Formats: sequence, C-alpha cells, structure tokens
Amino acid sequence: MTRTVAGLRVCLMIMLMIVLVSCGGAEPNLHVLEKPKNVDMIVKMDHGDFWKTVKMGAEVAAKEYNVNLTFKAPQNESDIDEQIRLVDESIRNNADAIILSASDYMKLAQVTDRAAYYKIPVISMDSEVASARVKMFVGTNNYEAGQKAAKRLIELTGPDSRIGVMNFVKGAKNADEREEGFMDYVARFPGVQVVDIEYCESDEQIARQLTRKMMSEHPDITGIVALNEVASIGTGEEIQKLGLGEKVKIITFDSPAKVMELLQEGIVQATVVQNPFNNGYLAVRYAVQVMEGIEVDERWDTKSTLIDLDNMLQPQNQKLLFPFVK
Amino acid sequence: MNIEPKRNMPKLPRVIESFKLRSIQTIITFSFTLMTVLVVIAVSIMLYNKFTKTAEENAYLNIQQIIEQVNYHLELYVKGMQDIYEVVEQQINDTPDISSPVLREQLTTLLHTREDLVSVGLFTPEGKLVVDIPALEMRKNTMLEEQSWFESAHARPQKLSFSPPHIQNLYKGQYKWVVSLSRMIKYKDQGTIKEGILLVDVNFRTIDELSRKVSLGKRGYAYIIDDLGNIVYHPQQQLIYAGLKYDNIEATLEYAYGSYIDKPTGEPRYITIRTVEPINWKIVGVAYPDEIVTTKKDLNQFIFWFLVVVCAAVVVLAMFVSAKISQPLRRLEKSVQSVGQGDFSTPIHVSGAHEVVQLSKRFNFMLHRIRQLMDQIIHEQEAKRKSELDVLQSQINPHFLYNTLNSVVRLAEKGKKEEIVATITSLSKFFRISLSKGKNIITLEEELEHVRHYLIIQKIRFKNKFNYAIECEQEALSCMTLKLILQPIVENAIHHGIEKMSDEGFIRIAACIKEERLVIQVSDNGLGMSRQVMEQLLSGGIRSGGSGVGVKNVNERIRLYYGKAYGLRFESELEEGTTVTIMLPVEKNDDEQPDWGMS
Repeated sequence: MTRTVAGLRVCLMIMLMIVLVSCGGAEPNLHVLEKPKNVDMIVKMDHGDFWKTVKMGAEVAAKEYNVNLTFKAPQNESDIDEQIRLVDESIRNNADAIILSASDYMKLAQVTDRAAYYKIPVISMDSEVASARVKMFVGTNNYEAGQKAAKRLIELTGPDSRIGVMNFVKGAKNADEREEGFMDYVARFPGVQVVDIEYCESDEQIARQLTRKMMSEHPDITGIVALNEVASIGTGEEIQKLGLGEKVKIITFDSPAKVMELLQEGIVQATVVQNPFNNGYLAVRYAVQVMEGIEVDERWDTKSTLIDLDNMLQPQNQKLLFPFVK
Repeated sequence: MNIEPKRNMPKLPRVIESFKLRSIQTIITFSFTLMTVLVVIAVSIMLYNKFTKTAEENAYLNIQQIIEQVNYHLELYVKGMQDIYEVVEQQINDTPDISSPVLREQLTTLLHTREDLVSVGLFTPEGKLVVDIPALEMRKNTMLEEQSWFESAHARPQKLSFSPPHIQNLYKGQYKWVVSLSRMIKYKDQGTIKEGILLVDVNFRTIDELSRKVSLGKRGYAYIIDDLGNIVYHPQQQLIYAGLKYDNIEATLEYAYGSYIDKPTGEPRYITIRTVEPINWKIVGVAYPDEIVTTKKDLNQFIFWFLVVVCAAVVVLAMFVSAKISQPLRRLEKSVQSVGQGDFSTPIHVSGAHEVVQLSKRFNFMLHRIRQLMDQIIHEQEAKRKSELDVLQSQINPHFLYNTLNSVVRLAEKGKKEEIVATITSLSKFFRISLSKGKNIITLEEELEHVRHYLIIQKIRFKNKFNYAIECEQEALSCMTLKLILQPIVENAIHHGIEKMSDEGFIRIAACIKEERLVIQVSDNGLGMSRQVMEQLLSGGIRSGGSGVGVKNVNERIRLYYGKAYGLRFESELEEGTTVTIMLPVEKNDDEQPDWGMS
C-alpha cells in the first residue's frame, strides 16, 4: 500500500514537472513592455523640423519598446497656458508617463508636480522645468552648447569685438542656459563685449526687426549669435539682406534648410546642432525604463555638434542636419 | 477486490471509504488519469515541438520572402536608374554640340517624365559645370571634388558608380537626399570630343520609403548598407552615429546571401541578408524571433489550459466510470453479505454492467437452487419419518395373531364349529383390510369394518365379556380416513377398560360429521383412566400390548397427515368409562391419495 502511494506521488511529480517545464516561457526582455503603455509627449510647438525630428525619434522608440505614443503641442511656443492645459489633459487621461519639453521653466512647474502627485512619471526633454519631481532630463547640455557657440564666434571675431545675442524666449530654461553658457564663456575675454541681447519670441519677423534694430543701434557689431532655429533664420537672412554678410560673423543654432543655405553662402559661419531625433528616442526609452522601475540617471546629455562647411558633408552630420528624406 | 468480508475497522465516511487505495474505483481512476495525462502530455510535447518548429520555419521563410521582395524592388529600381543613365548618356552622345538647346529640351522632358530624377549635370574632370538640368545656379562652397560620386568617377572612369545617399548641395533650391550615378563620358563640344563626368541624381525617397515600410514583426526592421559597410538606410541611423545603438553591421559584411541568428546585445535576432545585385548594396532584415514566433507563447498557453481541462475531465470521467463499475459490485457485495448472514429469501437485483448483471443473475439462480435444495431436504426428512410410520402401521402384530389362533384352538377343542368359522372369517377380513393393497387412506366404512372384525374376534376370545355397537351417519361412511386408527383405540379400551371389569362391558363407536369435521367417538363403560395414564398413553409410555400400534402412534399419524388441528382427545372418569374422540378433516373419497414418493 505504501509503495503504491509513493509510486503515485512520483508519477504526479513527474507530470507536474513536465507541465511546468513545457509552460515556462522565454525570459522577457526587460526593456520591451509586455503590454503597451500610453506615453504622452508634450512639446513646445506643433511645427518645425526640430520637433518633427523629435517626434520621429520618439516614434522609432515607441515601436521598439511597445509604447502608444501621443504627440501633443500648442500651436505657438509662447502659448504657455495651452501647454499647461495639454499636460492637465494627459493627467486626466491617465497617461502612464509624460514627456515634457517645458516652454517655461517656472510656469509648468505646478502642473508637473500635479502629474507626479497622480503617480505619473514625468521625463523632461529638451528644456527643463522647475520641479523636483521630474524623474530625468534628456536633452542637449544647453550651457555647453552656448559655450561652444561663444568659442567659435570669438575665434572668428577675435578677442577684441562687440557681439550681439539673439535669444528666443526669456524664461525658457534652454534659452536661459544657452545664454548663460555663452555669456560665461565670453566673460573670459575682457576685450569681447556683448552689446545687445534681444528676445524674438521664436518669431522670424520679430527676429528680423530686432536684427535691424541691433545693427542700426550698434553698427560696430562683428558677431551675432542666434540661439534657436527661428532666431537663426531671421537674423541670418536679415544680415544677408543688409549686405553685411561675412562682415558680421554669425553662429546659429539648429539646422533648417535656410540656415544651411546661409552656411553655404558664407553668411553663417557655423551652427550648433542638437540631436532632436535622439532626444525623442531617448526620452521614450527612459520613460519605459522608469515605468518598468529601472533606475535611471538624473540627466542624459544628447551631444550638440558644431557644424561648419568643413564637416557638414560628413555622413553622420548630413543625417543630423537633414533628418528627413524629402 | 473487496468482496471478502470487511475487517474490523471503524466505519469510514462514504466518500473516503469509496477511495480506499486498493478499491477498484481508486485503481481505475488513478490508472486511467495517469495514462491519459501521460499520453496527452506526450502528444502535447510532440505537437508543441512540431508546431513551434513549423511556425518558426514559416516565420523565417516569411521574413526571407519579405526581404527577397524588397530586394527585388530595389534591383528593379536600380535597373531603372541605370536605364535612365544610359538614355541620358545616349542623348548626349548623339548631340553634336553639348550646349544645343535641343539637348536641353530633350533632357528636361526626360526629367519631367521621371519623378525620381532630381537633376542631371555634366562636369569637366576638374569639377567645372558644363551643363545642368534643370538650369539652376550653382551654390558656393559645394566641395564637389570631395564628394564620392566625383571621386569614384575618377577612380573607375568606365564603371557606372552609385554613391551612398547624400545631401545634394550643388544647386540652389532644396536640399534633397539623392543617390548619385556618375561615370566618365565623352561629349562633343563644338566639334571637339571632350571627357566629362556625367552626374545623374536620383531622389533617395523611393528607397527610403521602401525600406521604411518593411515591417518584420512588431519591432523588426530592415536596413541597407553599401559594399563598404556604410549605412545607406537605417531607421535608427542617428542613434548609431551617436553611439547609442549598435547593430553589429560588421558581421553582415561577411555574407552576400543568407540568414543567421545574431546576438549582439544578448537578445537573439534573426538576420536575413540579400545583395542588391548591380550595386552590391546589402539589404539586411532584422527580426526578433521571440516576437515573430508568437505562436510559441499562444501554444504554450493553449497547451497549458488544454492539459488542465483534459486532466479535470479525465479525473471526473475516470471517477464516474470507476464508480459505474464498482458501485454494482459494492451493492452485490452488500447483498452477498446479507445472504451470508442467513437471509436466503430476498433475491438480488443489481443493475449495471452486463457482467455484474450476469453475476447477480447467476447468484440469484444459485440462491434459488439453495432454497430448493433446502426445501427438498426438509421434504425428504418428513417423508422419511412418514415412511417409518407407515412401516410401523403395516406391521402384523404376531401377538394378536397368536392370541386369536389360540382361542380358535380352544374353540376347536370344544367343537364350537360356528364360532371357529366366525373367528377365522373375521381374522381373514381383518388382515385383508389391514393390508388393503398397501394403501394408507381408506374409507371410514372400511375402517369401521376393520374394527368390527376386530371386535368380533375379541368378543369370541373374551367369551362375550362385552358388547359393542357401531353407529355411523350415512354421509360419513364415504369419508376418507387413515387406516388402523380405530383398532388401537378399541384395543386400548378392551385392555384398560373392559378386561378387568366384573360386569359386562360395552363399547360404542360412533361417527358423524360435525362442524366440517369427521368426528369418531370410541367410548366404553370400563374402569376409566387416571389423568396420568392418559398422558402416558399419548406420550407412548404405555403400549396397549395388543396390535403394537399404540395410541400415541395414532395421534402422531393423524397430526402428520392432517396437521396439528386434528388428532385424539381423551375424556375419562374412573369407574365410569372412557371416551376417545378422533377428529379428522372431512375428505370425500376421490380415489387418489397423495404419493409421498416412497418406493
């Protein structure tokens, strides 16, 4: 009798083992989500090559990591209230994570804290927001980018020169940081004087006007730095129009086709490009990591590159400058 | 099997009892379940392996076909570009003067018909523009001498070279991603034949879109590299350039055609490589087996639940079947048990399996047979006793014969001829009726006749010491009675009542039907008997000494034949006389009498 019981037990155990072994699935990849999650990406503006590239990168990552990506942005970069509303909307829709590129460092802070309160992780991308609840920042080191621009400009204009700065939105963290980096670098050269700092509100027309104004008020300016895409186009084209090309050295940011043309024409001497594709891609990837409970670094610097005529045709830079195949 | 009687153990609850380890139910349930589950598992494993293998093969085949398809389209596209290049070259060759407006018009038309065609340009080997279609101003700082199409046209003048996709920065207007086709050609410029580099730029968009649309599972993708390993198209080109992504491109350079599993980051990837023939580009498909072979997971889950359901079903079924089999057996066992305890009368009715029904039928038959045999034994026992009695009653009493013959001798000595005749005649009749052809049952008339002859003989012998009278209702005469029941009683009356009397005795025999009974009374006026003597008579303690068939015998015979309701009754008073009443059922003469089966 006892032996029969023992035999039965052995049989049962073998059966169980077979069942268990045959049902043990493959080890899941830690980064790929088993079930798709909703990630909302809220950026500053719904147009422009820069944001389109960000979106492209984000979509590549979304596909790779099984994420339902919602891409949202106000029509205008200065429409901060609309951006706050969009973040609120994502909180209400119970997004699993929010990626935010804050148009205003301070004003977006409250809504970011609210998202964190509802246990929605927030990843800051491209420009930061004044909230300690943000999990991580993915973007260009803007201070460093500003310094790069300053270094090249001073190389071009020499240690004794007067320089103008065309910034975009006062209060946006990346604008402030670029300016700060630029100013800090310039401060090393006592002969270099920043005579004018203007804010064009990311509007091309305003940038043109401000450039004209700047040049008329300070005709001795030999170098201008334009700190974002729109400012770059406005400034560069206005300088070209004024016939001041090559006399006034220009360092720009980002790489719209118009800026590239100005670069080839010799109006713009160099441009600092970020890597928006990588910004978008990495922001989504790190959002996935955060949702999966994996530790992430506080910051991830997607490098900025200084592009001039010498290196613009290198394959990796071509892709950086022209992310879209048209 | 548990058919043997239960051991002395406390009664378990029914359910547990029915699951004793060695019971049929348990054995069937377990073996049935075990076998089925093992078979199902074995089959499942086999099917699983087969299915996953087939699914994997199919998935891989599918991927290969997709890549093949893309490759085919690419080759077709490249071929188309080559054709265009040939056409452009032909037209330039056919034109006597390169600056002729006819050539320009022809090429412009060609450019318009082919959407993909971005621009055509002819450059001197030094890089000076000869002609460009559409006619656009050259940009400054083009650095065309450093561009790959220019360099390869110089390096391999005869071979049409395809550049990797790049930004076209030569002419003012848009910056477009193009693939440049270039070669050294000859053209005529105002009669002189010159050498130049013909550049045809084709929009990269078609290739880009074609590659972008390739979807290998959810995460899989395809990329294209040129023969040196430079990326032509990659969905994550920027990440690779930035060093954030590693795609193990070097490994693919070893293959021109084939498939393999690659694990650059640990996760297995299924790589498929095809070469785009004329330009030696490689199209590489990357798929994730874990993902494409989704069947594996589904199948896993399906098999798991299948097993669970099958096991449950089999257990239930096995329990049901085993119960179906063992329950009748159990019932049979209970019935047999009750038989064992001595109850032969209730037949067993067990329904169920054929065998069990048969078994119960056979058992019933056996029971029936046992009952029959037991009846027969009782029967035979009774018959045996009866036969003994019959033997007794048919005995001829030698003492009676001796006495009678003695008295005949005495009569003869005295010369009483008539009396001798009467005695001998009565004796002979007496014996005739005694024998009565071996029958046990005779009519009352015969019985009375018999006793009358006896009385005649005795009367002569006792020298008319007594008188007698026989009375009988006419109706009662034909009633059937056991033979030799009256003679012992009369004998008794003579011996105990009359013989010792000083006066003349009188014996009266009367028969009548009273209350559905045949009542025969034998009364004498003799000495009478004490109660004690009467009891001794009935218990056989006293033999009447005459015929040898005692009163007790008479009583027993009547009871045996007719039942306990019938028999003898004594009424006696000392000095007054005795009356013996015989009670019998009224049975009319219908000739036949029961045959007891004695030989």
